[in-house]
Amino acid sequence: MKFKSLIFFLIAFVGIANTSSVAKQITKSGVIEIFSETPMFTIEATNKKVASILNPTTGDIVVSTLVRSFKFKEALVEEHFNENYMESAKFPKAIFKGKIINNKDIDYAKDGSTNIILEGKLTIHGTTKLIKEKGSITIKGGKISAKSEFDVSLAAYGIKVEKAYKKAIKDAIHLKIHFNFSPYAKK
Amino acid sequence: MKYSIIKYLFVALILFSFQQNVVAQEDDDLMGMLDDEVGETTEYAMATFKSTRIINGHSVEQMKKYQLDFRINHRFGEIKGGAYELWGLDHALINLCFDYGVTDWLNIGFRRGTYQKTYDGSLKFRLLRQSKGKRVMPVSVSYYADMAINTLKITDPNIEDIFSNRLAYTHQLLIARKFGEKLSLQISPSFVHRNLITASEPNDVYAIGFGGRYKFIRRVAFTFEYFYASNTAASTDFYNGFSLGFDIETGGHVFQLFVTNSGAMVEKGFIAETTGNWLDGGLRYGFNMSRVFALGGSHE
Repeated sequence: MKFKSLIFFLIAFVGIANTSSVAKQITKSGVIEIFSETPMFTIEATNKKVASILNPTTGDIVVSTLVRSFKFKEALVEEHFNENYMESAKFPKAIFKGKIINNKDIDYAKDGSTNIILEGKLTIHGTTKLIKEKGSITIKGGKISAKSEFDVSLAAYGIKVEKAYKKAIKDAIHLKIHFNFSPYAKK
Repeated sequence: MKYSIIKYLFVALILFSFQQNVVAQEDDDLMGMLDDEVGETTEYAMATFKSTRIINGHSVEQMKKYQLDFRINHRFGEIKGGAYELWGLDHALINLCFDYGVTDWLNIGFRRGTYQKTYDGSLKFRLLRQSKGKRVMPVSVSYYADMAINTLKITDPNIEDIFSNRLAYTHQLLIARKFGEKLSLQISPSFVHRNLITASEPNDVYAIGFGGRYKFIRRVAFTFEYFYASNTAASTDFYNGFSLGFDIETGGHVFQLFVTNSGAMVEKGFIAETTGNWLDGGLRYGFNMSRVFALGGSHE
């Protein structure tokens, strides 16, 4: 009798553990646009190869992309971006690992848009910083998408701009993020 | 009875630690899952050289799709002219160059140079790209073909002015490797065919070029280039081309400053018809100025 209840307990427990890991969301074609403008120089690039997984149950979210995937209109500017600023040979990836703090406000079963607050560790140029930024999660016809916009300071991540270019390149680079998720299925 | 309590505790403990594990993995393993999903990628070597030329000769760098490289290349006179000629600065040879990326793997070029009032057109194909990661390729390889037209007036009454006499062809295989962020080296087996030459010269010249750069600080690299040509051994008029210089990059420009013994900026000229001798002051100052324009949308 005791043994039976134990098994029951075990099954129930494993069952609960399992439900918490379903319905993870993934994208490999998330978009991040970067933009910065001064009267002298405009930096504008798009990365369409951003990968991310969102766990709607916990609100955990991870984002990863190759710095090299940022595409500029001018090839030479792209080279400078990689070689002289982001040093992408040394620091190939940009990573975010964090959480939607107010995840409980989101009803993933219903269409609608919810403002969110993201908190976590952003790693750029080999430097990790704790960030807290606003965004939104939208559910439409069962599809989950995420958006966020914020500024990143070059100096904060140890990205050096030479004195001669300080006027041409602003310290704050604006990021515009847009992910369309689909349900994760293990490969 | 006492025994079964221990059993319960034990099971509870195991379950508890199991749950802890699950929770810990939730946090950490999302990144692992993501890495698994994305898989290994191929990373191509970027900027093996800063521009499409090492000094005189072409590098493996291609203009990407829709990018136009406009260059003004300059060679002054030989420094052995001394103070009277301001060490060569009184004279200048110029070459205006347009190199355009039709696709990421095909460049077309068009130029006009002072040397023999030459017009030349070229095609440059990218055959291999150095890469690591999923696909490993140790070198980048391009094939370069050039046709040059000498448009000097023919004053010698013994030479019949036939158009084909004015033509010369160059074929080069450009093989380069980027060794880390600083050092890049290139070997360029070359073949030059000239339709018309003076009696003592061969029509065909085989050559091998060596070139490289060492980027010693951000935006500045030391460059060198040497062409060993088959016609120079038997000749007292022609020498192997040798050049030393610097690449300096700013936002949209690349400046190349150097000394060289070649006055010509077209392949058949600087490979097969270099007249300067390093040992007796047959050197020139030279510079290439490159400005790249993006004529179309973002390249992939």
